[in-house]
Amino acid sequence: MGSWFSAQKVVGYGVAAIAAAFVLYPVYFLLQAAFDVGDPQVRPPTAYGVDNFSGLLQYPQIMLNTLTVSFAATVMALLFGFVMAWILTRTNVPGRRLFEQLMAVPYYLTPLLGALAWSLLGQPESGFINGIWRALGGQGHLIDINTSYGIAWVMALFEGSVAFVMIAALMKSMDPSLEEASQVIGASRTRTIMRITLPLVIPGVLGAAIFVFAEMLGSFAVALVLGLPSRYYVITTAIYQMIQQYPPKIQVAAAMGSSLFAVMFIMLYAYRRVVVSGSYVTITGKAFRPRLLDVGRLRYVLLGVCLLYLTAAVILPLATLLFASLQKIAVIFPTAENFTLDNFRTAMTMNAVRSAVSNSLLLAFGTATIGVLLMGLLAWLIYRSRLPGGGLIEYMVMFPQAVPRLVFAFGLMWAWVIFPIPIYGTLWLLLIAYLTVFLPLGVRTIAGVMLQIDKSLEECAQMCGASWAYRVRTVTVPLLRPGLVAAWLLLFIASVRELGASILLMGPHSKVLTPSIVESWFGTSSELTATLALIQTLVVALAIIVLVAVTRRVAEQTPD
Amino acid sequence: MLASPPDPPAACSLATPHIEVNGLELYYGSVPAVRGISFKVMPGEQLTLLGPSGCGKTTTLRAVAGLEQPTVGEISIDGVPVFSSAHKINVPAEKRGLSMVFQSYAIWPHMTVFDNVAYGLRVRKTSAAEITERVGRALELVQMREFTDRRASQLSGGQQQRVALARAFVFQPSVLLFDEPLSNLDAKLRADMRIELRDLQHRLGITSLYVTHDLEEALAMSDRIVVMRDGLVEQTGTPDEIYSLPRSEFVADFIGSANLIRGRHRPDLDGDGLTALETAAGQLIYGMAYGRVARPEMTVSVRTVYLRISQERPVGDRNVWPVKIEKTVFQGDFSQVHLSWGDQRLVARCAAMEPIAAGRAVYLAVEPRRVVLLGAENT
Repeated sequence: MGSWFSAQKVVGYGVAAIAAAFVLYPVYFLLQAAFDVGDPQVRPPTAYGVDNFSGLLQYPQIMLNTLTVSFAATVMALLFGFVMAWILTRTNVPGRRLFEQLMAVPYYLTPLLGALAWSLLGQPESGFINGIWRALGGQGHLIDINTSYGIAWVMALFEGSVAFVMIAALMKSMDPSLEEASQVIGASRTRTIMRITLPLVIPGVLGAAIFVFAEMLGSFAVALVLGLPSRYYVITTAIYQMIQQYPPKIQVAAAMGSSLFAVMFIMLYAYRRVVVSGSYVTITGKAFRPRLLDVGRLRYVLLGVCLLYLTAAVILPLATLLFASLQKIAVIFPTAENFTLDNFRTAMTMNAVRSAVSNSLLLAFGTATIGVLLMGLLAWLIYRSRLPGGGLIEYMVMFPQAVPRLVFAFGLMWAWVIFPIPIYGTLWLLLIAYLTVFLPLGVRTIAGVMLQIDKSLEECAQMCGASWAYRVRTVTVPLLRPGLVAAWLLLFIASVRELGASILLMGPHSKVLTPSIVESWFGTSSELTATLALIQTLVVALAIIVLVAVTRRVAEQTPD
Repeated sequence: MLASPPDPPAACSLATPHIEVNGLELYYGSVPAVRGISFKVMPGEQLTLLGPSGCGKTTTLRAVAGLEQPTVGEISIDGVPVFSSAHKINVPAEKRGLSMVFQSYAIWPHMTVFDNVAYGLRVRKTSAAEITERVGRALELVQMREFTDRRASQLSGGQQQRVALARAFVFQPSVLLFDEPLSNLDAKLRADMRIELRDLQHRLGITSLYVTHDLEEALAMSDRIVVMRDGLVEQTGTPDEIYSLPRSEFVADFIGSANLIRGRHRPDLDGDGLTALETAAGQLIYGMAYGRVARPEMTVSVRTVYLRISQERPVGDRNVWPVKIEKTVFQGDFSQVHLSWGDQRLVARCAAMEPIAAGRAVYLAVEPRRVVLLGAENT
């Protein structure tokens, strides 16, 4: 397309260069710190070596903790995901459609909110559940959420909805005639499941397992909220602690971070390989209408299972936070005078809170608006322009997916601290961080819509004589509008709830909401924290309602 | 019988071809799509690139349009180079002054019919009054006037096709490119549109380059046809030449059904302007060379429609053989009769007739001028 030299090439490669700088600059400084064995006070490093990495062996407990939590959480998340996917895609359980949509809710509620709520529910002393247990005559405590299995439980509840989405897509894309063929030949139902169904889904489930495990390795919020009180550290919280303590152990933290990132990178690579190689039959990209298994009376049991999951992941956490936010001191059996609206009043009037909320909204608007422009251009560059190097740019843009946000932010912090333009500690740095870590999210969302637009619609405008800028304005952008709006809202939501990157990068005068919630949890009161978490949920919920309304309108407009 | 190229329409620049493609090659990575294509389109002429899928015809068209960048070669429009690998010239598609009708129609779903057709005029900053007038006329020409304010997504396939056509010619481009424009229509509509398109092209007197894999379409619509195969030109000529005088086995086979007969040249039996061929089974058949070189080993092509079957022995002794009928396949307007001829099977296409029982002995005859020697012309 185009000539030996053209405006689109200039714009295209310019945008790619900006994205490359965003992604690679912090990674470079992360690796530099990881191999820096000189004086920690001197930059640039005076000596390089691998001592920081061999030093990691001094922390076997952290590695063990990380593996324990990630493994337990992965097993549980897959179990939740698989059971829910099977119930909702293959059986005639009542209300399947509604449940399927509700399954996305835990993902939007965020693990942080879940951790706060489950902390209120399951702390050994003050936890509501343990309170009820003692009121019923029990001794000590029934559950302790501040343990490895407590952490894994909360992580699994929320990652379960991700596992569900992956496994349900797999089950839906399986051609039912493959099973029917087996039955027609005369195989029994059991034999069909053992010989046909399972072999077909196993590669996909394995892929989901690798993906979920990688996510667990890099997850931060739950382990922070639930692990810190009992000094139970996983790798991400340990990195955070090392950076925050005085004097900070930057070099060891960097080595730890880059090791984690290397492991996640390998796992995500393996995930892609599994998905590609195991895709022999099921993943045709075409959705079939699977035959529903008539489970008879059992359907009400299965309905109960669905309700149970949603209760643990959505209803109970939200109810708990609401319950706590309305009390002076959160207890399970409050007296009438313990109820108050003071927390909401405080949250609305406290300067720190107000500035955190307005900063977050400002950032979210900025990230979403600039992000849509930047990521739209990148998506076009990768999937449409056919400029040479598109594949390389795609890899680079998807790269932040493999790096835990906390580690990425660490690299960013380390990179920008010495940058001549003083943006460290300002919202600008947070903006750059958000734009970088959300690159995969935004580009994938826009590309999803872009790939559905017939390429000849743009080519035809070109044949009518329209210049690049003119056809982008009159054809590409109007056709892409639903994708752009969806991407804007997703970026907005992701920004409002961002924790891993923000917690390291926000300065005293540039506080944002989610890290402030964590600070409030450890520093102020759990009642006020619950209130803040609810306010954040409300903002996100409003954005989601708009998102759903927009996607629905688009779905109605699109003729099949 | 031997058709001469059609007289170019009385246009101003007889000498300059409107489009000239020279030595075009296009590789996707190391995979060749086009391996060296040359052709010319004269002003007002309709030239068709014909070939099976994957032969590079669409790629060639898109290279002319400027939507693909060739690896090697030259493309000129009105004598001005728009692509030249040697001179590093590549005029972007929007500046080549061409227009194109896409296989998918590419009707913009977010615009009305009017806005779709007006697009090219707006790009050219035409005044509002003139846009209204010209869009109206274009829609009139494709019989879509009453749909002017309709949303494009509310149109049927045939209607979208008409809008796409109006949009392509409304701004009076010098050349129209067609990328299999009729392939998504059903058979009946396709036959109607074929005639309409041809009429319109004559009325507008516009030069057009047309791509199709449909033989009938190519024969019905073209002034000249370029048959392509595996990224190379197989044969160029008028529809009549391509049909009657195929040069290669591929063209004979692709352009309608033909019987291919291989054998040895018998120069001792040549005479009366005929060339004699003897098959391995000893059958003799006389054909015409049409200026092509008769080699010792050669192939002739006989269209199935030219094989005659009769109960009585026809007069004459050349190209008359007693044969056995193997089977008859009834196909509606005609029947396909399979015959065993020496050690090979021939197929004759006969007007629907009473089925002849398999195993019957009949006579087969063919005029020598219908037996065409395949091969390159003797130059």
